[in-house]
Amino acid sequence: MLGFLSTLQPADAGTGLYLIAPTVILILCVAGGVGTFLLLPGRKQSPRLGALLLIIAGLIFGLILFRTVVGQASSDTGPYFWIFSAIAVVGAIRVITHSRPVYSALYFVLTVFATAGLFILMYAEFIAAALVLIYAGAILITYVFVIMLAASAQTVGDRSPLAGLAECDIQSREPFTAACVGFALMGVLLFVIFDKAERLAQFNFTPPAAGLSADELVHGSTQSIGQYLFQNQMVNFELAGLILTVSMVGAIVIARRKVADINQRFEPSIETISANATPVNDDPRSIPVYGTTNPKQKSFPQT
Amino acid sequence: MDALFAVKHSYLIPLLPLIGAIIAGAFGAKFLRGNSHWPIWIGVAISAVMSLSLLFGMVGFWHEGKPLNIVVDWYTWIEAGSFKATAGCFFDSLTAVMLCVVTGIGFLITVYAAGYMKGEEVYFRFFAYLGLFIFSMTCLVMGNNFIMLYLGWEGVGLCSYLLIGYYYERPSAVAAAKKAFLVNRIGDFGFGLGVMLIFLTFGTVSYFGTGVGTHTGVLELATLPLDQLSQIPGVNTSWVPMAMKWTPFLLMLGAFGKSAQFPLYVWLPDAMEGPTPVSALIHAATMVTAGVYMIARCGTLFVSNGAAMTTIAAIGAFTALLAATIALRQFDLKKVFAYSTISQLGFMFVGVGCLAPVAGVFHLVTHAFFKALLFLSSGVVMHAMSGELDMRKMSGLKRVLPKTHIFMLVGCLALSGFPLFSGFFSKDEIVAAAFGRSTFLGVVMLFTAFLTAYYTFRLYFRVFRGPLMVPHPPHDDHSHGSHDHHEEHHNHEPTLMMLPLALLTIGALLAGYFNFPTAHLGDFLGTSPSLTASYEMAVEHTVAVPHLAEGYGQVAEAGAHEPMISGLMVFSGLISIAGIFAAYVLHLKNRRLDDKLAEDLGPLTRLLEAKYWVDEIYQAAIVNPLRALGEFSYRFDRWIIDMLVNMSGWICQLAGFFLKFTTQRGYLQGYGAAMLLGLAVILIMVFMH
Amino acid sequence: MQLLALQHYLAIGAILFVIGLIGFITRRNMIVIFLCTELMFQGVIINLVAFSRYTNNLAGQAFVIFILVIAASEASLALGLVILLFRTKNTLDADAWRELKW
Repeated sequence: MLGFLSTLQPADAGTGLYLIAPTVILILCVAGGVGTFLLLPGRKQSPRLGALLLIIAGLIFGLILFRTVVGQASSDTGPYFWIFSAIAVVGAIRVITHSRPVYSALYFVLTVFATAGLFILMYAEFIAAALVLIYAGAILITYVFVIMLAASAQTVGDRSPLAGLAECDIQSREPFTAACVGFALMGVLLFVIFDKAERLAQFNFTPPAAGLSADELVHGSTQSIGQYLFQNQMVNFELAGLILTVSMVGAIVIARRKVADINQRFEPSIETISANATPVNDDPRSIPVYGTTNPKQKSFPQT
Repeated sequence: MDALFAVKHSYLIPLLPLIGAIIAGAFGAKFLRGNSHWPIWIGVAISAVMSLSLLFGMVGFWHEGKPLNIVVDWYTWIEAGSFKATAGCFFDSLTAVMLCVVTGIGFLITVYAAGYMKGEEVYFRFFAYLGLFIFSMTCLVMGNNFIMLYLGWEGVGLCSYLLIGYYYERPSAVAAAKKAFLVNRIGDFGFGLGVMLIFLTFGTVSYFGTGVGTHTGVLELATLPLDQLSQIPGVNTSWVPMAMKWTPFLLMLGAFGKSAQFPLYVWLPDAMEGPTPVSALIHAATMVTAGVYMIARCGTLFVSNGAAMTTIAAIGAFTALLAATIALRQFDLKKVFAYSTISQLGFMFVGVGCLAPVAGVFHLVTHAFFKALLFLSSGVVMHAMSGELDMRKMSGLKRVLPKTHIFMLVGCLALSGFPLFSGFFSKDEIVAAAFGRSTFLGVVMLFTAFLTAYYTFRLYFRVFRGPLMVPHPPHDDHSHGSHDHHEEHHNHEPTLMMLPLALLTIGALLAGYFNFPTAHLGDFLGTSPSLTASYEMAVEHTVAVPHLAEGYGQVAEAGAHEPMISGLMVFSGLISIAGIFAAYVLHLKNRRLDDKLAEDLGPLTRLLEAKYWVDEIYQAAIVNPLRALGEFSYRFDRWIIDMLVNMSGWICQLAGFFLKFTTQRGYLQGYGAAMLLGLAVILIMVFMH
Repeated sequence: MQLLALQHYLAIGAILFVIGLIGFITRRNMIVIFLCTELMFQGVIINLVAFSRYTNNLAGQAFVIFILVIAASEASLALGLVILLFRTKNTLDADAWRELKW
């Protein structure tokens, strides 16, 4: 894999054509960026226009991709690839643009399901199952719980369609910069992915269907993955277990921090106070004692 | 001690005063104090003795028929590539005469100064500077190359500055010192350029190289024709015609600066701020004569350029007349003599400009005697009058200062050119030379002689004759130390000051007879190779001037001299008597007549009293614009250039401030976004070239 | 031509990753920030599995297993910390934590 990565360095381009022209990628990225920016929660949010732009860009991109696929063997995935991809992308967009965090979590679940579907198309059903079990089943549930825990104390906004939302959810940080940066990165990635054909011809990529061994066809990928894990990656496997244990312990330790009152609001402050170092009029209470909120003062022995 | 001793140990002549100055300067403050004059006395005395023995020896050699012209090199001073300047001296008649004047009169003045400056707080400083001055002046007249000359030139300029500004707590003295130095500097600039031009053209700066007659020095190379010059290596033949045209003017500029001729004379009257011995020594007898000496010495460079000689004579005459007219309405004792010095220097320049350097040097010698005498007498008067110098405030001092009166009278008679006194003979020779050149010039010089007699005796009659009037001592007289003149029986004429005055008086009386009736001085000077070579060049190049041989002392046979007593001589004597008589009428017989005359000639009087507003013109035309330029430059530098420099600092600060507020906000995601931006840029640059 | 199918998956992975990235930078709710982190994980996982499949190397899928392990432990710890932070300032706003500035 690393060898492949190293060959992606810019070398003298041949006379071959790009799989997808960089200009098209650029235009689509710009459109997508603008659309995303308009969708992100904030002052300039205009969901309809943004959604429209994004949908158009996505459709065009999809069409272009489709054209590159037409008429060859690995279209055995049928329309499912496109469906799952569309659901995944739409879900991802909604994750980042929805104002309510619970909806973000739920849309994420949707994205996870779509991704799992993509894996099944690639004959990686174990991964798909694991994804659904762990991500959708465990991690996302935890997220939803934490959202519910933390949302209880947030302030209520005045605007009716956005009632009950904290300010942090309504306004996003510098959406323009983020959209620019993100889509610039995406442009680069897509450019590299859809680079010239002869550069990529040196690698021996076989479609999943053709690469399956007979064993796998019968027992599925679970067995091969299990064999691989326990034969080749034994140490890593054990380490993974160790990591889980450690994180469990850590989570318990973190969560165990005792707080005096859940409703207590204490404002951390950094104050410098200059005060007496010797008692005034022999009154021990005239010297404040720092570091605790314990109002009990030490009493000085009477001399 | 004979002449050969002086020649063998010639380095002692400048060295001893220098050592005296160093001793006085180093030890004078703590140890010598009031005795700081002894090192200087000893040093200058020995130099004077050596100079005199040298002179007598040389006269002896001359009478034997073998005049001494010898180049003595002490050591190699500068050697840089092809440029070589040795520290050494050149002895000939001209040097000997100048040395005697410098060291002799210098010694007398140091004796006088010991009495004059007695009781001064910083006594040693004066004598240290005096010793330094004598050193510089002897280097100047003795040096055997232009660099020694330049060393002495600058040295005397420096000492003049130091000594004029001796009373440095007085702002007027400080300003006068600065003025002297700066005006001198203007002349020295031209002089320096001239020396450089000489080196570049002739490849050497030495006067006579390895010896007289070898044609290895500048003064002899200048006499050679071009074809002979091209054979000598080091000479830049293509430059010679240009150099011979321009060098005289450049050197002349230096002479005008040093010898206070128009337009660079303005420093000399202000230089009277210095103590009186300084005025006598530097600004009467020795330093200001350096220009005349230089032109006499470098005659071969000058005579071929007729325009240069004419310029010298014209400027000299103009300055003489100008200064004489200004002196008519000066009331300060020393200022009158200062303008008189400028005027007499003008006479000397006319002498050398009219191809009679003998006359110029003769007048230099006599002038040294009587001008020093006059200045020193004014010093006595000044001391007696508690620092007062205004002649309107004193009168009839004959009774108070009898001895000084005699000395002053002799000096005044000599200056006026009264018959049989020294000034008469020397001035007459110059007037004769002027007439030889152009009648108009001669008439101007005669008129100036008349004015000289008039203003000199105006001073004499005002100050020493008439009813007795002594000024009250001013209360804030800090200028001359702790003399107290309040007691009546105080001796105003201390011996230490009278003795030199007596000797100078004898000199003023008898110095004229050096060249009368037989032209001893002239012939003696004529043995100098400078004069000989100049004479030959003058014969070749210039229009024939009557008495040219006389003017250069080159009269071959005895008895072929001009008759000594001529009509011109008688006439000039009458002129001076007329001047004295006019002064008598207006300033002794009926003083109110003078005031009335001044009133009647109102505008003329104002013009003269304002010294033709030359100082004001210089101030407005040169000093103020320069000062404005300086102010502007200062403001420009401070506000614009410094502002630019500071701005570069501010810009950095602003940039930092700006960056601080935009990128370091504390939001974690902001930092993350910035990192991603950088990553995106790098990836774009790498993959999408 | 068969390569195209791989590139499709890679494109989807890249898109998901970048969308997660944008959300990570933009959103202010701390929980949503971590959610977007998980979204980035999704993109990466798609890439890994696609490469694993197309080069017949099971290491990619094994790596995905480990990624799931890490994601799980990271999620739990992160959410614990978020709860603590929330308790301190009583807000989920990431902008409230600004002390590390100039």
